[in-house]
Amino acid sequence: MSQSETVIEIRNLSKVYRDFWGRPKVRALNALSLDIKKGEVFGLLGPNGSGKTTTLKLLLGLLFPTEGEVKVLGKSAADVSKNERIGYLPEESYLYRFLNAYETLDFYGRLFDMTAAQRKERSEKLLDLVKLAPQSRRRQLKEYSKGMQRRIGVAQALINDPDLVMLDEPTSGLDPLGNRDMKDLILDLKAQGKTVLMCSHLLADVQDVCDRIAILYGGELKVMGRVDELLTAQDKTQIRSSKLSDAALKEVQEVLKRHDADFTVDQPTASLEDLFLKTVQESRERPGHRNVTDRQSVT
Amino acid sequence: MYFDPNEYLLNPVISVLNWAVVVGCLTFVVLFVSMINLFATRGAKGIGIFFDELGEMASDLFHLSPRRIWALTRLTYTEAIRRKALAVFVVFGLLFMFAGWFMGDTKEIKPDQVKVYISFVLTTISWLTLPVVLILCCFGIPEDIRLRSIHTVVTKPARRVEIVLGRMIGIWLIGCLVLSVMAVVGHFWIVRQIPAESQPLLTCRVPVYGANIEFIDREGNSARAGVNVGDIWAFRSYIEGATKARAIWIFKNVDESFLDSEGNLNFENSFSAFRSYKGDMTRPLFYDIKFFNPAKNLAYTTDPQPVNEFRHKLDKIPNKVTVDDVQYDILKDFVNEKKELLVEVSCIDREQYIGMARSDLFIRMPDRPFWMGYWKAILGISLTLLLITMIGVSASTMVKGPIAAVLTFVIYFLSLKDNHQFMDQLVFGRVEGGGFLESVYRLVMHMGPSQELPANPAFSVVKFFDWMLNNFLWLCRHVIPYSQYFNMPEFVSNGFDVPWDTSILPSLLVTSAFIIPCVLMGYFALRIRELESK
Repeated sequence: MSQSETVIEIRNLSKVYRDFWGRPKVRALNALSLDIKKGEVFGLLGPNGSGKTTTLKLLLGLLFPTEGEVKVLGKSAADVSKNERIGYLPEESYLYRFLNAYETLDFYGRLFDMTAAQRKERSEKLLDLVKLAPQSRRRQLKEYSKGMQRRIGVAQALINDPDLVMLDEPTSGLDPLGNRDMKDLILDLKAQGKTVLMCSHLLADVQDVCDRIAILYGGELKVMGRVDELLTAQDKTQIRSSKLSDAALKEVQEVLKRHDADFTVDQPTASLEDLFLKTVQESRERPGHRNVTDRQSVT
Repeated sequence: MYFDPNEYLLNPVISVLNWAVVVGCLTFVVLFVSMINLFATRGAKGIGIFFDELGEMASDLFHLSPRRIWALTRLTYTEAIRRKALAVFVVFGLLFMFAGWFMGDTKEIKPDQVKVYISFVLTTISWLTLPVVLILCCFGIPEDIRLRSIHTVVTKPARRVEIVLGRMIGIWLIGCLVLSVMAVVGHFWIVRQIPAESQPLLTCRVPVYGANIEFIDREGNSARAGVNVGDIWAFRSYIEGATKARAIWIFKNVDESFLDSEGNLNFENSFSAFRSYKGDMTRPLFYDIKFFNPAKNLAYTTDPQPVNEFRHKLDKIPNKVTVDDVQYDILKDFVNEKKELLVEVSCIDREQYIGMARSDLFIRMPDRPFWMGYWKAILGISLTLLLITMIGVSASTMVKGPIAAVLTFVIYFLSLKDNHQFMDQLVFGRVEGGGFLESVYRLVMHMGPSQELPANPAFSVVKFFDWMLNNFLWLCRHVIPYSQYFNMPEFVSNGFDVPWDTSILPSLLVTSAFIIPCVLMGYFALRIRELESK
């Protein structure tokens, strides 16, 4: 499969949910068409009820389209054999809660017809990858926190080393550390040449990892394109430099004024996520150290 | 007391034909319903999808993976155990701890005592394992759909057939595990509870029944049956004493293997007595047994034997008998060229009657150990569990758990002997009063079942509707299994071995007849529905 090969092809896809009597209830998706190429990380964005999860389920064959056509890895969505090369992380943990982590991965490994040795090796590797603590691995999933369930969910999605990974709200329920790990994992999958399709309404997550996005609203495609192109403000120029002296700053401002530029000058702020990760990192390296800047909170 | 194995007697050819009819009917129902469903939900293109799915299923059959099926089996098995299905052992333990209190002393009637103990154990085991399996098989897949766990399975390369098969095997294995443990405990319980003096009765008799029974009336003419002494439902026909009335059995394929170690032919009977006057009630009625060979004009009659009322009686007939001072060999001189032995029984007491049915006289072969029959009965229960599992799992792929449970229970209830026989009567027109609509009309109009309906076009419509309904009932009658085939415990509790050809084979055939349609039903139900819990 070449780099430009289409992995997912959606043509004029519509989905109407019907009631018990077959009467149309909700048009969840309306004439969606898009292609996803091999090796890209594609984000489906939209508010709740916009049709993201419906699209994913149509691609997986869990729902049947009312109209339109879907091809996944060159095969129909109803073709079970396509699943050999797909990994799927559902929106919530739909795993078997009475199994422990090892049993879970062993079970899903068997569904891919993997040998015992392959299953064992792959399970250990994945549990390390998703950073599930060794002491938790023998506990039943019903005892897991939401974040832990998400991690084992990711592990089961990758058990077959898939070419295409579909992630439904992958960072939902994760703490900032887990969130960062998940994003790193997605980027790692991209680096391995895998195709990732993710649904999310957490915009920052999508912005960090996706090459291309599509924004759905009311079941219709509103925007689609490369993230960097869509987010670049064409009528603005940004200059970043190391900290300037007052004289240098004044000089720059005078130059900008001469050119009638509309500008503001301030110091950049880090994101809260960066601050949180930095704090946790420092806490790990220097246990007991505190760096409190708000005096009122100390008293 | 009666036990007629004739009901189980099946010709192998007829069994195979029945098998084909059941498979055909069920498969037709499944495919027809699937096609209608697809047409209703997806319009005209649903028909195309139906045929695509047929092809897809055929393709799936070539891609079945034992490892995937085993994975789903293990999942089902683990789920059942971790969800405390084995708690049924607590109920079992309690029942067996205290059962002895209520079943204590029936020492005066030893055979009944043995029968009650065996029957109690086997019935208890059946009625404890059946609900467990029913619940497990009907709620597994619907729960998976409700909790959406099935999303993580069907998005893997697991075929729908594998999901259905994995569930069925897993639940059946759990059922067999529970059954095996209970059966071992039950076996020891029976052996320990039955007093030493009754232990010899703990055996499995091996009967060879006559192929047929014929009656001769008091005038010496051939008759369809004997005398009905007033029972509304007559299992036995009665022959009048000191007349020409006789009952004749024809035993086939009689050879040396029928002799016991002492060279005797063991005839066992369970004749019943009917007295037309009281007289001395302690004096038994008498009968004699006559062997005859019309071709050689040879007959041998035993001494008069007392009827052992409500019990079995064993008559040991020596193979070497003397007739008019000439010694004959029953097997050589009385068995004809077709290897048939004709046996005639008559009543000796004037104006008294002895009742008999085909199964009331048989040649008793060497007994088999009790454990052999007992474990065959357990096999019968396990086959019932398998059948329930298959029906329950396939029902649960279409409807929610409680509905699947009710549906499966209703099918099981209709499969019971009396219900199935009633269906037979309706289907084959043995019930007077017409079909559903006609009988409702008769009820409302206070018309007797034999009264002719007036000639009227409306009644023609009614009869046509009833005819349609009757055909549907014919389909149901073939689709719903006849649980009596699986009732092997009845043999054992009556002290008989479970015969291979007349009980085990038919039940295996019936079970296998359900595999294909049930798997097909499960496949279609999971393929044509959206696995999204709403």
